[in-house]
Amino acid sequence: MKKTNIKKNKNIQTAVIKNKTNMNKYSLGFGLSLVVTNLLNAVILVVKEVSSSVMNVMKAALGHHWTTHGVFLLFVFVILGVVFSIKGAGAKWDSRKLMYYISGSVIISVVIITVFFLPYLIA
Amino acid sequence: MLNQGFMMSHVLFGVLGILCAVALFMDVLNAGEKNYQRIKILSLAVAVLIVISFLIGGYWYVTYYGAERDIIKAGAWPWAHNFFMEVKEHIFFAMLLLGIYLPIAVYKNTPLTNRKNKNLVLAICAMIILIGIFMEGAGGIISKGVTIGLRG
Repeated sequence: MKKTNIKKNKNIQTAVIKNKTNMNKYSLGFGLSLVVTNLLNAVILVVKEVSSSVMNVMKAALGHHWTTHGVFLLFVFVILGVVFSIKGAGAKWDSRKLMYYISGSVIISVVIITVFFLPYLIA
Repeated sequence: MLNQGFMMSHVLFGVLGILCAVALFMDVLNAGEKNYQRIKILSLAVAVLIVISFLIGGYWYVTYYGAERDIIKAGAWPWAHNFFMEVKEHIFFAMLLLGIYLPIAVYKNTPLTNRKNKNLVLAICAMIILIGIFMEGAGGIISKGVTIGLRG
């Protein structure tokens, strides 16, 4: 009888652990921030290369468009990371889902950047 | 001379960062209690080395690269700047952010013996290594673009 109860308790504990997310809030928050920032990197690149007014603003802000681009991305990464961590965004996500999103965001941004400059290589 | 010194240290720290990412990848594959301390140190080393490489490379790019860009664009390999440098300087941000996130994933996402946690860190390491290898190759092409530009 006792043995059966212990087994039941173990099964319940295992089920609870399986249903819980296995991610720490900072790991998840900054991971989500990484996804957003990676995509933002490609978007900023396209916008500044297409719009000369945006490029001029970025040059004027910190002396060089690339410096402004980098500082802005780092700023967004930290702020979003803190906000997502505090708000508990994506609380039900696990490491596998985050891995797919991070990998996807890196692949998409790399493809956008490469394709954007590809005509220069072909020319 | 200072110009060359900055450039060489940018490459040096970048290569060391990639090598630490390779070592970390292997350690995480065999993650356990014995090597967890080393995994934590390596993840921090990758972040620090990539950030140092970014700061030195960024300073060099903003301060010295303008003259070399003009040489490349006037030479036979203008695409060394127009494609490789442009792509390199922007994809580097992805590597920088992955590098900064790596220790967070290692320190806060435990235990690494869990397959999902392990795969997340492995994927980040793999992306840093692949982007890093591209950085090194693109850097080589850009240097060659300057040499060819100087030949006229």
